[in-house]
Amino acid sequence: MAALSDRRRINAPSGGTTAPVFAKTLKEPGYLEELRPQRSRDPKELRKICECLQCFITVTAHPQKLKLVLTTLSTVLQTSIIPSASGSAYLEIPNTNPPSTSTLIPPTSSLKITASVQGPKPLPRSAPFSPTLLLTTTVKFAPFATRHRRGYIRDVAERDLGVHLETALRGVIIGERWPKSGVEVVVTVLEGDEDAWWGQDGGGNGSGWGLLNVLAGCITVAGAAIADAGIDCVDMVSGGVAAFVRGPADGGEVLALDPCPAEHQEIVAACAVGYLHSRDEVTEVWLKGDAGLEAADSLIEGATQAAQGSFGVMKEVLLENMGKNVKPEDATSKVGGKRKQVEVEMTG
Amino acid sequence: MSQTLPPVALPGTLLGSTTKYLPGPGTHIYESYIYSSIAGAVSSTATRAPSATKPTTTSTPTASTATTATKSKPLPLLSVSRDNGAGQDTMGILGVGSGGGDTILPEVESIVLARVTRLGQRFASVEILVVSGSVCREPFQGMIRREDVRATEKDKVKIEESFRVGDLVRGTVISLGDQSNYYLSTAQNELGVVMAKSEAGNTMYPVSWKEFVDAKTGTREKRKVAKPF
Repeated sequence: MAALSDRRRINAPSGGTTAPVFAKTLKEPGYLEELRPQRSRDPKELRKICECLQCFITVTAHPQKLKLVLTTLSTVLQTSIIPSASGSAYLEIPNTNPPSTSTLIPPTSSLKITASVQGPKPLPRSAPFSPTLLLTTTVKFAPFATRHRRGYIRDVAERDLGVHLETALRGVIIGERWPKSGVEVVVTVLEGDEDAWWGQDGGGNGSGWGLLNVLAGCITVAGAAIADAGIDCVDMVSGGVAAFVRGPADGGEVLALDPCPAEHQEIVAACAVGYLHSRDEVTEVWLKGDAGLEAADSLIEGATQAAQGSFGVMKEVLLENMGKNVKPEDATSKVGGKRKQVEVEMTG
Repeated sequence: MSQTLPPVALPGTLLGSTTKYLPGPGTHIYESYIYSSIAGAVSSTATRAPSATKPTTTSTPTASTATTATKSKPLPLLSVSRDNGAGQDTMGILGVGSGGGDTILPEVESIVLARVTRLGQRFASVEILVVSGSVCREPFQGMIRREDVRATEKDKVKIEESFRVGDLVRGTVISLGDQSNYYLSTAQNELGVVMAKSEAGNTMYPVSWKEFVDAKTGTREKRKVAKPF
């Protein structure tokens, strides 16, 4: 499909890029079904990992911090990973299901997203005067990001995600501080959450449940990158997802925070939010599916809870990064009286 | 409320009430409390009473009324500074992919250093390289109009007798300008060309407010010269 619209590049076959499933094994009844991943965590529990590189460093460097790290740092989040960008971040939520012994196909996908912030920089000559910061967001899936191969040109879903991300970020940035400038937030999804389990008919393609997880990840990672870039914000924005899931393994219809679509037979409704923690405000809501009025309320409530989880990680990571950069003399000079007089200009 | 300030803050961190502090750079006011708006180290400085409480600054109305109410003792100024740890080693180097420099914007009245890129009949185009002592991440387009070159005899100013392409100019921002250019002025003794090369390509030194002399050949060239400090 991508090859039809994109004639300038050498496109790979647009089919899947997974390992083969042999016909012999498929004849055994129930073989495929036993590969289906199951949600092993509590419905209110978010996905987490502890053997990431960052944890390892923290744990070995500060043994007394061990408990804190294991409980809060549930995902991999790193900032300042791209030296030439003014701010950048990388987020990874790995899959929690153990790999199967009988097939090479991974049970669920993981979520890997990078964001880079370019600017604030002067607007191009052709752009009209703007008294505020102009925000541009670009979300692009890497061609290999999903089981179904993506094209090199942004498609409808990617542009849609970009608009949603822009809405989420516009609510936090104080644009008046940067007149005549533009900032570009470029988000690359290296691996995206899938819409459903791969063994299901058609792999649930097009249902778009995975996009909600991707959006929440994009919001979190872009929020971290913007804070890293030092752009004025009213708060830090983080993303979260909640869904009503139904299936034999789930035991009826339950509200699950941070759902992994591959782990559930059916998703009834889901919601992604961009949430400001200290203001308790929501800048972006994306509600999908068949939720009633009350169900929608509890969905949004659940999604903000999930967003608070990712906010905790973000805060921890940014503070840790800042601890590395702030010079000791700055860190100790918290009391005004002790600090030597410094020329400070008032700005708006 | 005698809470101590946190050493570092993230966007949205509560720093204090507007009755106790004045909002400085890197902070904003929300419902009469001061919050941090960037991630960085927090500092509070005692403000010099007469100059800082003048309403000429762009401080918010709530802050200025608070200061006039408690005239006896000026409030300390709260500010959050960006930590530039990442670009520390490459700071001050401009160029492709350098990653150094600060994210800073020219504001009205800030002193800038700029390089002349083009001369016109009525203006000189410049690129602003340094704003208020810190190197910009990337240059900003600026423009010195003929009437802003000097304060007196504005009608007799000739651009080609004031600047040459490649000159380094110290100027002050008088306006954020139009869509593409910041407007600069050199109409003060301290402002004007600070470094120039002659047509032969040699460095020159200033001899008067309107002339540079080539150190090797001794030829004189006309410029709007900045008074050396």
